[in-house]
Amino acid sequence: MDLTGGFGARSGGGGPCREATGLDSLHIGEEFRQLVTLPPENAGSFTALLELPPTQAVELLHFTDTSSSQAAVTGIGGDIAPPPPLHSFGTLTFPSNPVLMERAARFSVIATEQQNGNVSGETTTSSVPSNSSANLDRVKTEPAETESSQRLTSDQAVENQSPSPSQNNRSGKRKEFEKKVKSSTKKNKSSEENEKLPYVHVRARRGQATDSHSLAERARREKINARMKLLQELVPGCDKIQGTALVLDEIINHVQSLQRQVEMLSMRLAAVNPRIDFSLDTILASENGSLMDGSFNGTAMQLAWPHQVIETEQSYHHRQLQPPPPPQPQQWPYDGLNQPAWGREEDQDHGNDHNNLMAVSENLMVGSANLHPNQVKMEL
Amino acid sequence: MVDSLFPSIENTGDDDASPESSRKKRRISETSKEAETEARRTNEESLKRWRTNRVQQIYSCKLVEALRRVRQRSNDAGKVSGAAREIRETADRVLAASARGTTRWSRAIIATRVRARLKKHRKAKSTGNIKSRKATTETKRIKLPAVERKLKILGRLVPGCRKVSVPNLLDEATDYIAALEMQVRAMEALAEILATAAPRTTLTGP
Repeated sequence: MDLTGGFGARSGGGGPCREATGLDSLHIGEEFRQLVTLPPENAGSFTALLELPPTQAVELLHFTDTSSSQAAVTGIGGDIAPPPPLHSFGTLTFPSNPVLMERAARFSVIATEQQNGNVSGETTTSSVPSNSSANLDRVKTEPAETESSQRLTSDQAVENQSPSPSQNNRSGKRKEFEKKVKSSTKKNKSSEENEKLPYVHVRARRGQATDSHSLAERARREKINARMKLLQELVPGCDKIQGTALVLDEIINHVQSLQRQVEMLSMRLAAVNPRIDFSLDTILASENGSLMDGSFNGTAMQLAWPHQVIETEQSYHHRQLQPPPPPQPQQWPYDGLNQPAWGREEDQDHGNDHNNLMAVSENLMVGSANLHPNQVKMEL
Repeated sequence: MVDSLFPSIENTGDDDASPESSRKKRRISETSKEAETEARRTNEESLKRWRTNRVQQIYSCKLVEALRRVRQRSNDAGKVSGAAREIRETADRVLAASARGTTRWSRAIIATRVRARLKKHRKAKSTGNIKSRKATTETKRIKLPAVERKLKILGRLVPGCRKVSVPNLLDEATDYIAALEMQVRAMEALAEILATAAPRTTLTGP
């Protein structure tokens, strides 16, 4: 009875005394004690601290020097010090201040210590400073860790008589505070810390909503916009158009025009098609005819006759057809694609393949052309 | 220099045909900037893929091969219009084959031919199309916002991309446009060669 009453009194009302003793046992610095004992109007319960408005929490986190942190400490209870200018992401030196780290960590640690015995609290606090290396994501994980550790220790703890409603109250308030910490830190996270975490992070810019829905929406929109930009670059004449709908119109028109061009070309090829077999071989012959003139244009090679077909057909036509003597005029729109250049630009095996093709074709047409076999072999 | 291969077609874009780009690792995290760089990376890869010398040569080689076979088959038929359709389908199939199955539209093109063959057997049984058009059954539906309507149209244009998510659809459209451009260039070059070569053979032929 007595014990329970005592416990209830301690955990319920006697906040400052117990906290002070707890703090003393933890050897916390002056400023933290001030912080804890500052709000007298709230009966000094720890939960008052947890009800800090987010701006002040952000202030705490943003303070980079101890002097300003002192100001924050004094400002929490009554006057609110003018918030320091929130630095841009890159200059946030939050992790460099171990005091703030410890303070932020110990907000949750104190709560754990309240619920459990000193022993478990001490173990957690001893683990916390070791964790507080200058890493922002550790801050995120620390509250989670301490929460989880607190849950563990609360399970293991021997009959802590703290009444359950106040316990839930405290854990709820703590989660709220941590969520505020998290949301504020998420705003100013730097990019390299994203990569340390295993899950996907989307950066929320300053001044934008940070709930999960709008974040996901923003990520999705950014993906789509990136792809639209690429399509704009691909389709000619889309750069100047503003607005997704018009750009999509242009893209659709372009695709339709390309498909119609393919149809037209296929009709043209169909018209020419009956002569395809005949023409192609004569083309090859004429190609080698132009080879005689010394200006090799890689037209035939550009068409890249398949190896086997060449052999059969070449031998056939070699016997039957005489290659037309006239040299190719400049109607061949292709520049002289040199064999070395061609071989250079391709992969090794493919280059060899085509070299063989050329060699084959040249060898087969040797009889009909004035090409010296020596010359051919040299080009190999 | 490589673009001189197909100079008869206008040089679309300022990209130089570069050697095939090496594969790059993708990062897990995506911020706004990173989403853009990632999309740009994949799209530049796909764009350059359709402009390399090697791809063009593979395509023209296979195209000629396929056209020969088509000619042999349509020699018996003797129609020109039918041959045009066959040639187009052949060209599309060759294009899809050059894509090596990495893109959805290429797989869809190859698959439609299989499905068309199957349908030929089943045509005797079924008269009409069962699933002809479900899109416009509800007449009282309010018109979708303009962008979404256009996305649907685009999905219908790109083969096999009707029910694809928006970012994937845009990716597929990018690759499809690049591939179509290459196809147009190759076919036009081929038509040029044949057109200029053909009359000469008639003149000088036996």
